[in-house]
Amino acid sequence: MGNPMKIRAANKDGVTEVKVLVSHEMETGQRKDSAGAIVPAWFITELIAKHNDKVVLASEFGPSVSKNPYLAFKFKGGAKGDKIVVSWKDNKGDTRTDEAAIG
Amino acid sequence: MSRFSKSLLVLALCGVSAGAFAVDKYSGVGRQATPAEVKAWDIDVRPDFKGLPKGSGNVERGNELFEEKCASCHGSFGESNEVFTPLAGGTTKDDIKTGRVKGLSSGELPQRTTFTKVATISTVFDYIQRAMPWTAPKSLKPDEVYAILAYLLNLQEIVPADFTLSDKNIGEVQKLLPNRNGMTTDHGMWPGASAAKGGIGNGGKPDVKNVACMKNCKTEVQIGSTLPEYARTAHGELADQNREFGAVRGTRTLGPEAAKKAADASTLDLATKSGCMACHGIKSKIVGPGYNEVVARYKDQTDAEDRLFAKIKAGGQGAWGSIPMPPNAHVKDEDIKTLVKWIMSGSK
Repeated sequence: MGNPMKIRAANKDGVTEVKVLVSHEMETGQRKDSAGAIVPAWFITELIAKHNDKVVLASEFGPSVSKNPYLAFKFKGGAKGDKIVVSWKDNKGDTRTDEAAIG
Repeated sequence: MSRFSKSLLVLALCGVSAGAFAVDKYSGVGRQATPAEVKAWDIDVRPDFKGLPKGSGNVERGNELFEEKCASCHGSFGESNEVFTPLAGGTTKDDIKTGRVKGLSSGELPQRTTFTKVATISTVFDYIQRAMPWTAPKSLKPDEVYAILAYLLNLQEIVPADFTLSDKNIGEVQKLLPNRNGMTTDHGMWPGASAAKGGIGNGGKPDVKNVACMKNCKTEVQIGSTLPEYARTAHGELADQNREFGAVRGTRTLGPEAAKKAADASTLDLATKSGCMACHGIKSKIVGPGYNEVVARYKDQTDAEDRLFAKIKAGGQGAWGSIPMPPNAHVKDEDIKTLVKWIMSGSK
């Protein structure tokens, strides 16, 4: 399930800027723990953002993305009160979906 | 007590007495500060919440204010590391229970943030009220400071999204602060008496102990650990990278032979960068002659370096066959001289 994402969406001059703070370990699989054993890879593989039901961002993530990634993007056509839904899937098959309203 | 903290105390005492007697002692100079002036100046909020103004603000209002006044530097979620270190993040629910941020000692934190370190919420309130926003300090009203602080606490998952922070419940929030037990006064920088005698520090006892050895002393210094070779040489010859004055000298990391090798390697880099190595090999002909061939032909000629300098700069054709050497006006004169010397000394 993972921890909730923080999502802010604000409309300005017809352009909606969405900012997302994802909470995820994002282990690369290259790191070793103090005992010398490799920490297994655990990272988000894809992230999709929808405006109402329309996909406005589809992205592939990988091990090079930082822990607790921050993401910001803009799109046209949003209106105040519309729903923004962001969901991710990681390499362990875990998923998480959160939503926010455009303010 | 160390000499340092003694002199601090003396200074502090001087300050107090000067404040009390200044008016009497220097008649006609200065005047007493008015109560209004003192009030305007005396804005600090202390850990026991002395000085905390009355007011309240909720997370939602804080979000609006933060977006408007703070987010451009701190990021919408207090996560930005571009202007200042991040405000929020790095703590767990367990930390809120224990009052000690585990990541600080385990080394798991990729980056420290305000809330991984701060032990008293009053400090954050005081700082926002006193210094923020950066461009207009002291412009926030108490209710706005409460709201922004509520938003930060919500970012840190200390309070829920519908929380309203006020002077009434800020004491409760203090009990939830992730690093509230992370502060110790048990070290020598606190002036005054030790905590056992009613003071706050340890009475000025230094953090390090340099005890003079009286018996069974070590007869020689043994180096307990050394840098591994790869780390030692990672930055080249340190002794060559010092400023040229002062007592501190970097250690010879490479040794004389390795130092020469490193210098030559940089000449090879220079040759590569200048485009020489595309046509000339060190020991073989590629398009133009190898450097060994050049040395063989020119080594007995006294003016060889000058002539080679001219040839490299202007280019030429015929001496080694019909393929021309292009002019190299883009290479600096001193670099050409370095290269010629390097070639004539065997390109080693």
